[in-house]
Amino acid sequence: MGDLTKVVIDFEQSHLLFPRLVATVLGLLLLTILLRDRKRILNAGQTWRITLNRMDKPRFFGAIALTLMYFSCMVPVGNVWPNTGMGFLLCSVPFVFCVGALFMHDRPKRALGVLALIAIVGPTCVWWLFTNPFYLTLP
Amino acid sequence: MIEFITPMFLALIVGGTTVGIIFGAIPGMTATMAVAICLPLTYSLGLENGLALLLGLYVGGISGGLVPAILLGIPGTPSSITTTFDGFPMAKRGEGEAALRIGIVASLVGGLISLFVLYLFAPTLADFAIKFSYVEKFLIILFALTVMAALSTDLLLGIFSGVLGVFVALIGVYDISDGGNGKHRLIPPGMEYWLDSGFSLLPVLIGLFGLAAILDQAELGVPKGHTADELKVGKQSRFKFSVFKGQGTNLVRSSLIGTFVGILPGVGGSAASILAYSNAKTFSKNAKNFGKGEPAGIIASESGNNGLTGGALVPLLSLGIPGDSTTALLIGAFTLQGIQVGPLFIGNSPDTWNAIIFAMLIANIAMFVLMYFAIRYFALVVTVPKHLLFPIILMMCVIGAYTINYGIMFDVWTLLIFGVFGWLATKLRLEIAPFIIGFILGPSAEVYFVKSLESFGDLSIFFTKSWIAGVLWVLILGSLVGSTLLSRRARNQDVSH
Repeated sequence: MGDLTKVVIDFEQSHLLFPRLVATVLGLLLLTILLRDRKRILNAGQTWRITLNRMDKPRFFGAIALTLMYFSCMVPVGNVWPNTGMGFLLCSVPFVFCVGALFMHDRPKRALGVLALIAIVGPTCVWWLFTNPFYLTLP
Repeated sequence: MIEFITPMFLALIVGGTTVGIIFGAIPGMTATMAVAICLPLTYSLGLENGLALLLGLYVGGISGGLVPAILLGIPGTPSSITTTFDGFPMAKRGEGEAALRIGIVASLVGGLISLFVLYLFAPTLADFAIKFSYVEKFLIILFALTVMAALSTDLLLGIFSGVLGVFVALIGVYDISDGGNGKHRLIPPGMEYWLDSGFSLLPVLIGLFGLAAILDQAELGVPKGHTADELKVGKQSRFKFSVFKGQGTNLVRSSLIGTFVGILPGVGGSAASILAYSNAKTFSKNAKNFGKGEPAGIIASESGNNGLTGGALVPLLSLGIPGDSTTALLIGAFTLQGIQVGPLFIGNSPDTWNAIIFAMLIANIAMFVLMYFAIRYFALVVTVPKHLLFPIILMMCVIGAYTINYGIMFDVWTLLIFGVFGWLATKLRLEIAPFIIGFILGPSAEVYFVKSLESFGDLSIFFTKSWIAGVLWVLILGSLVGSTLLSRRARNQDVSH
C-alpha cells in the first residue's frame, strides 16, 4: 500500500504533472455531466433556437461587431501618430457614438446630439486623464 | 501610523462611495463592474489611496442596490433581491422614502458589524495560517473550491466551473520563480508569444464582469430606462428611528449571517441577503407580514448584504482567498502595486491593514450620510439612459485591460474573449464565481501540490501531514455531502409538490 502512494517527480516533466491531473478531473466531470444531463444536452438545439429567437440580434451582434472593429482599428490608427494615444481617442469617439445609437430605442435629433456630445467629451477626458496626469501610454 | 490619512485619501473614499452607489443603483450594473472599470485609476494613486477608492466603490456599490429594489421592485444588484420583497410593497403604499432610510440605516449597521469582525478575526486567522505548510495551503484552496461549488445552483456544474478556472489559469509557463522548470504547457501552437504568462487576471475579470454584463443587456435589447415619474419615493409617511425598536436581534443576526457568508469563498451577496431574510422571517412574530411591506424584511436583507463587505475581506487578507467576485478584483489592486495578499500580509504591511480598516469605516459612514440625506437625488440615477452609460463603460473596460500590463493589446483581446465566454457560460449554466476563484487560485494550487509531493514524495501526506489537514478533509467532504443531501431533498420536495 505504501508503495502505491509513492510519487517520484521528474523535474523536467514537472510542468505537466498538475495540468494532466486537472485535465483528467475535468474530463471525468464532463463525462459525468454528459451522462447526467444527456436529455437536456440532446434537446440543446431547441433551447438555443428559443434563445436566438428571443434575442435582440441587431443589438447583440451589432455590439460584438462594433467592439471587434474598435479593437482592430485602434493599433493601426495609433501607429500613424505613435505614443500619443490618438489610436484610442480617434477610435473611441465613433465607437461610443455608434454603440450608443445602436442601444437607443428612439433616435430623435436632440438625443443623438446629446450622445454625440458625450461621445466627444467622454473619450477626450479619459484620454487626457490617462496620458497627462497618469502618464499611461494608450494605443 | 496614520500618515495615509490625507485629504486625497478621504476624498477618494467619498468619491468612490458616491460612484459605487450610482453603479449599484442602476439595474444591470454592479459593485464588481464599478471596481473593474476603476481599477486602472489606482495605477498612479499608490496602494493606500487606490484601496480607498476601491473600498468606497465596494461599499457604495453593495448599498446602492436598494434604491431600485425599493422604488421600482427591481434589484439594482443581486444582493438586494430580498429588499424588493418588502421594500417595493412599502413604496407602493407611498412609504418609499421611509423604506429607503430603513435600508440605509440597516446597511450601515451591517457594514460596521462586519468591519468589527474583520478587524478582530482576520489577524487571528492570518496568525494561524502562517503555520500552514504547502499541504495545508493546497487543502485550503481545495476547500474554497468545494465550498463555492457546494453553494452553486448545481453542485456538479459548480465543481466543473471551478476546475475549468484552474485549468485555464495553468496556460503558460511553469514559472521558475515559483520553483517550476520554466517550460510551456497548454498553449495552442503559434500563441507562445502572447500566452507566455497565460491570460492576465484583470482583463479576464473585466471581461467577465464588464463586457459580459453589457452583452447580457444587449441580448435583452437594452431595456428602456425608467422615468422619474415611475419612482415611488412617496411622502405619505416619514421615517422614524423608532421603527428599529425590537429589531436589535434581527439587525445583529442578519449582519453576522452576512459576515459569515462573506467569509465563505465566492458565495456572494445574494446568498447573504436570502439567508438573513429567511432567518428573520422564521424568527419573526409577524412572519405573515413578510413580503407585504414589513420593515423587518428590509432590515434583514440590507444588514445581511452589507455584512458581506467586511466578511469577504477576511479570507482575502488572511489567506489570500477572495470572499466574493468584487474582492477577487481587489487582488488585482494589490498585484498592480506588487503586493501579495496572504497570511503574512497583515503582519508585514500594518499601514496598509490600518488603511483598509479606516477606509471601510469612512466608506460606511460616507455611504450613510450620502444616501440618508441625498436619497432623492440618488434615486434619479435610476433614470440615466443606458445607451449613454454602456458605451462609456465599454471604453473604460478597454482602458483597464490595456493599461494593466503597461500597454499590451492582447489583454484587450482577452477582455473580448472572456466577455463572450462569460455570456456563453451563463447560457451553458456554468458558474462564474467558482470559475473566477479557480482561475485566481489555480497557479498557487499547482505550486502547493507539486512542492508537497516533491518534498514528501508520497500522496498520503495530504491526509497525514497534520491534524489541520484532517480537519480540512472533514470540511471538504462535509460541504460536498451536505450539498448533495440538500439538493436531493430539494428535488424530492419538487417532485412531491
